[in-house]
Amino acid sequence: MKNISSAAVGGKAGSNKMHNTIVYVKQHWQLYALFMLPAVLLTVVFRYIPMGGIMIAFTEYNPIKGILGSEWIGFQNFTRFLSSPDFLRYLVNTLKLSVYGLLWGFPAPILLAFLLNRILSSKTKQKIQLVLYMPNFISVIVLCGIVRILLSPTGMVNSLLGTDINFMTMPEAFRTIYIASGIWQGAGWASIIYTAALSNASKELKEAAVIDGANIIQQIKAVEWPVIKDTVLIQFIMSVGNIMSVGFEKAYALQTDLNLNTSEIIATYVYKKGLLDGDYGFSTAVGLFNTVINVILLISMNALVKRMNEGKGI
Amino acid sequence: MATVQLNNIKKVYPFISGEQKSKKKKNDENKPEKKKSNLQITDEGVVAVQEFSLDIADKEFIVLVGPSGCGKSTTLRMVAGLEEISDGELVIDGKVMNDVAPKDRDIAMVFQNYALYPHMSVYENMAFSLKLRKEPKDVIDKKVREAAEILSITQYLERKPKALSGGQRQRVAIGRAIVRDPKVMLMDEPLSNLDAKLRNEMRAEIIKLRQRINTTFMYVTHDQTEAMTLGDRIVIMKDGYIQQIGTPQEVFNHPSNLFVAGFIGMPVMNFFDADLKREGDKYYVEVGGLKVELSKEKEARLLAKDVQSQPVTLGVRPEHTDVAEKGISARVEVAEMMGSSVHLHVNASGRDVIIIVPTVEMEDSYNIGDTVKFTFDGKVAHIFSKETDLNLEF
Repeated sequence: MKNISSAAVGGKAGSNKMHNTIVYVKQHWQLYALFMLPAVLLTVVFRYIPMGGIMIAFTEYNPIKGILGSEWIGFQNFTRFLSSPDFLRYLVNTLKLSVYGLLWGFPAPILLAFLLNRILSSKTKQKIQLVLYMPNFISVIVLCGIVRILLSPTGMVNSLLGTDINFMTMPEAFRTIYIASGIWQGAGWASIIYTAALSNASKELKEAAVIDGANIIQQIKAVEWPVIKDTVLIQFIMSVGNIMSVGFEKAYALQTDLNLNTSEIIATYVYKKGLLDGDYGFSTAVGLFNTVINVILLISMNALVKRMNEGKGI
Repeated sequence: MATVQLNNIKKVYPFISGEQKSKKKKNDENKPEKKKSNLQITDEGVVAVQEFSLDIADKEFIVLVGPSGCGKSTTLRMVAGLEEISDGELVIDGKVMNDVAPKDRDIAMVFQNYALYPHMSVYENMAFSLKLRKEPKDVIDKKVREAAEILSITQYLERKPKALSGGQRQRVAIGRAIVRDPKVMLMDEPLSNLDAKLRNEMRAEIIKLRQRINTTFMYVTHDQTEAMTLGDRIVIMKDGYIQQIGTPQEVFNHPSNLFVAGFIGMPVMNFFDADLKREGDKYYVEVGGLKVELSKEKEARLLAKDVQSQPVTLGVRPEHTDVAEKGISARVEVAEMMGSSVHLHVNASGRDVIIIVPTVEMEDSYNIGDTVKFTFDGKVAHIFSKETDLNLEF
């Protein structure tokens, strides 16, 4: 009875707080509007207005005639792409690169965060974090240049292995190179969010787990994982939503004529068709197809996670 | 159930490189040791605990008490294995435990902030350590339900910690410790997060619990009331050193130094600048024109130590002062009505003094500015050296 009443009191206090916040915002709405204005303007100008350009996907686009003046051809560009003999290869390449990237790349920063959290000396931890974050600031093109040099027949990797293999010409090596270099570059930076979340893990709880006899894995499971679980889930949903959004730059920069079989993905195809061949309508249709698949994946994954995680999702 | 021996335990937190450099720059060669607030900084690092020696008997309830930063929690954490012992020896049940992992010391610990796993139910929290030990399910269930019964939390077993009040959470934390049936139960300020009423209730619960589970307890608190009511013996600490070890009665009646005298007892002991006079085999204290002869026991102890006449710090507890027609003159500054007594805060020769007057003995009310005279008996006077702050009797 005591608990019910205390919960009721807690609920009342919560609703009072909410009410006070609403009243405060209403009283000072001009201030809030002023703060929000730049963000709203930027979103509208750079995110919503360009959506009008989607119409290009349904036209035989001619830059001289403009979007509205170009001939309306309906879903022809889509059917052309879907019936193309290479469609399935591009789709599979894109999906494989994304899914493998997610499977290998998503846990890496989480593991890294758990490891960083085990370092007791804050100075050592800072130094290690600095080293781990640095690759994130290298541009993709420079990174690809480094990878190409390291993996060239006369590069460091071949020197260490005592071989002269040209890895960049091997279609079966492309995905490994792409994903491994991605993890090296991004895992440290991506671990920031998990490291921050882990800082909320109670020190006393960790000590209690130690006294209870928990080993490192059991401590992570009992103390640290519950603290970052929600963050991991949200990051996972977001990552799944971006599964088809493999940026063209890196794939394009690591592409050679000999590894095209695995390196040609929808994004590089869109780039080549749109900007190199000038087939804007077709290229936009392919890009739109990609986005629609992404949205469907995002919504379905969110629904799935919500069902599995006591209704918690985005 | 076990004996615990702490032999000359020391805890030093070593400097990290930057600190040591800056310390070396600042310190003169002639000053190897520096004292900053209540921490001792030496060449080795910051010394949190030193020269800590204590023998705890089987099933004894020991309370470590002292102000913040005195090293009491550090000592407990060393016993738990959460802090490395820099020097000295920790023996539990006859085995040296310095390098033994916490889980293998057969101890359980109750933390100030409960330290309950928030995603687990009360049952799961209590069963966690037993599950890790791979005990059979029926044994776990039996132990958890027994502990829950002792602590009257059976009805909350399926709840998550967030759905419990502070007192209930602390019971769960204690329950989690007792299911392990530990040799030594360690408690680090377990009642500090509770309000005054709940703290009193839980204190009584711990006394009852102690009788039921019959194990060795080490309990850390900064609250001297908790220390006095719970402990078989109390260890009073300051700046990493033990100041006195004794039963509650001993430390209250025979404080070994000025710090213990001021720390134990509520309201705090009154202190006066006084003169100790030796006249043959008799000892007197002179303060504010009042000359009081010390009791025979005190005289015998002072004689045994051949204490001579000297200026001293005299300590008299507020409850041992009496308002009288003749005595030390003082001006009333505040009169606090406490129900059964009135606490008179008076100023006597520039010193703040508290006099407790039982209301049944009161003839008049006291007003601010009134002049009162008070006296005390020679058997309740505590005589401390001006030079060493030590009790001259011991």
